[in-house]
Amino acid sequence: MATSSTTAGRTQNVTIDRTTSATIRQRQRTQRTITYILLTVAGLMFAFPLYWTISSSLQTWQELRSFTPHFYPTAPQWSNYADVFQAVPFARWLLNSLLIIAITIPGTIITSTMTAYSFARFNFVGKGLWFVLMLGTMMIPATVTLIPQYLLWFKLKMINTYVPLTIGSWLGGSAFMIFLLRQFIMSIPRDLDEAALIDGANPFHILWRIIVPLMKPALTTVAILQFLNEWNDFFAPFIYLNRQPLYTAAVGLRYFQYIPLETNDPRDHLLMAAAAIMTIPVIALFAAAQRYFISGVVLSGLKL
Amino acid sequence: MATATQSVSRKARWSPAKRRENLYGYLFLAPWLIGFLGLFLGPGLASLYLSLTKYDVIGTPEFIGAANYVKMFTDDDLFWPSLWRTFYFAGLGVPLGVLGSMALAILLNQKLKGISVYRTLFFMPSLVPLVASVVLWKWLLDTNFGIVNQTLIGFGITDPPGWFSDRRWAIPSLIIMRLWSSIGGTQMIIFLAGLQGIPEELYDACAIDGAGTWHRIRHVTIPLLTPTIFFNSVLGIIGALQTFAAAFVATEGGPGYATWFFSLHIWKQAFDYFNMGYGAALAWFFALIIVGLTIFQMRMSKRWVFYYGE
Repeated sequence: MATSSTTAGRTQNVTIDRTTSATIRQRQRTQRTITYILLTVAGLMFAFPLYWTISSSLQTWQELRSFTPHFYPTAPQWSNYADVFQAVPFARWLLNSLLIIAITIPGTIITSTMTAYSFARFNFVGKGLWFVLMLGTMMIPATVTLIPQYLLWFKLKMINTYVPLTIGSWLGGSAFMIFLLRQFIMSIPRDLDEAALIDGANPFHILWRIIVPLMKPALTTVAILQFLNEWNDFFAPFIYLNRQPLYTAAVGLRYFQYIPLETNDPRDHLLMAAAAIMTIPVIALFAAAQRYFISGVVLSGLKL
Repeated sequence: MATATQSVSRKARWSPAKRRENLYGYLFLAPWLIGFLGLFLGPGLASLYLSLTKYDVIGTPEFIGAANYVKMFTDDDLFWPSLWRTFYFAGLGVPLGVLGSMALAILLNQKLKGISVYRTLFFMPSLVPLVASVVLWKWLLDTNFGIVNQTLIGFGITDPPGWFSDRRWAIPSLIIMRLWSSIGGTQMIIFLAGLQGIPEELYDACAIDGAGTWHRIRHVTIPLLTPTIFFNSVLGIIGALQTFAAAFVATEGGPGYATWFFSLHIWKQAFDYFNMGYGAALAWFFALIIVGLTIFQMRMSKRWVFYYGE
């Protein structure tokens, strides 16, 4: 339908093309100006909260709690950043988050690659069913399995350990990442596997020597996604960890929301500094691996 | 007995290649399969059983049939309001987010100087950890000292909203926060990929027709983006319905239960009151709602999602 109407239009309009080209150019120019204005206004609105975090994190709480806004600190309070680590064990919590990340990234990379390889390269009985079930896990809310899981870890005396938070990553990781890696492996020509097979390589060799070296971009994406998931995760650590020294940064950040009874001073300035501290590693990761953030999701077959 | 011998004889007929496929297939699948059975299917079924019991962790589960399900519909003052609130949040937040990301992607898909700087700029908020962006927005939207209200007062609005501390504005505040942190993120990147998949010749045809920008967007871009809109909406709704951290960190479900979403309700019952049986029933009901809604969306998609070239 659409194509037939456009071809009809094409023959009709060719003659008037030249006379209108000047107006078209004019129109393009105004359009470009409007785009820039829209993008700049929206961009400033998006960037402002980020600026505001930094600016607020460098002020005193008296300055923050005044009825006229201070757009920049009168005297930057760099000591706020040091105070964050004094007020609560924030360094410990950041390290705890990093520890969980250090445990889960290798787990996800190894076991989700294995799963993806299985789904992409072998025709075993029941494959279709398992694959559908795996995709199905993406839409089931975590709360359904959470209660029995919690009871299980409770009985095994594993509450207040990192076992419940990390074991899943060593057992396949998330369905989303498996799917992403499967799509990637499927895009690698099978000829390579078959040539190696004829040379006498077994599937482990093929995976390790041929597939994995080609998967570096996809595996980097998975590592980044895993980092972000764990760094941001609130619910699981909140449920499984109830001893302060074990907290992750995401759970611990809340502690600046409370006004301590001893001093009765608000801690918004520290809260903002802590929020900035939590954001810095992510921004650094983005700066170092920008193309994986932008293209990783896309190239790995999220295209529909 | 008969089936056993049959399967044995079938196995005997398997060629070495076929046996190899099964052996290695399951070998590589093993870690995931253990996880699926032990951390997903097993607990899922266990929670289905628990949902038919009364269980407070200390004793043993006491079978009470469908009583938990009856209770949620008839004897739980927070059940319907929390369900309705969750749908209000997702129903308003997800469409706004998807439309916002699409509009932004269309703007950012033009070949203009410096466009990659803008892309990075809009992507930045999605890098801020959720908990950090919640505390940030609570500060921006603080009733007395927040910059938003101080600006509104500066413009002569003497009675600005109380945002997170006002029952009517608490959910809109969460939506504003969500829009800020998600519009320029992955969702928009997926839209950009969708836009780049639109064949250039369709736009050429538009140019020859003399179709204006709006016409081009309305009749070429949007129809060809419907698969992307669908994908982002489905994932967005599944995510938004399960919102926990944002509401919990911002307001702990308040003020006056204004952000008491369904997942907070489940959490409170199971992990604060230790009504594990009732919590499991709520969780199962919620899972059925989400799965049902997703299947419904997939059915409906046949009416409006357009796949070019099919």
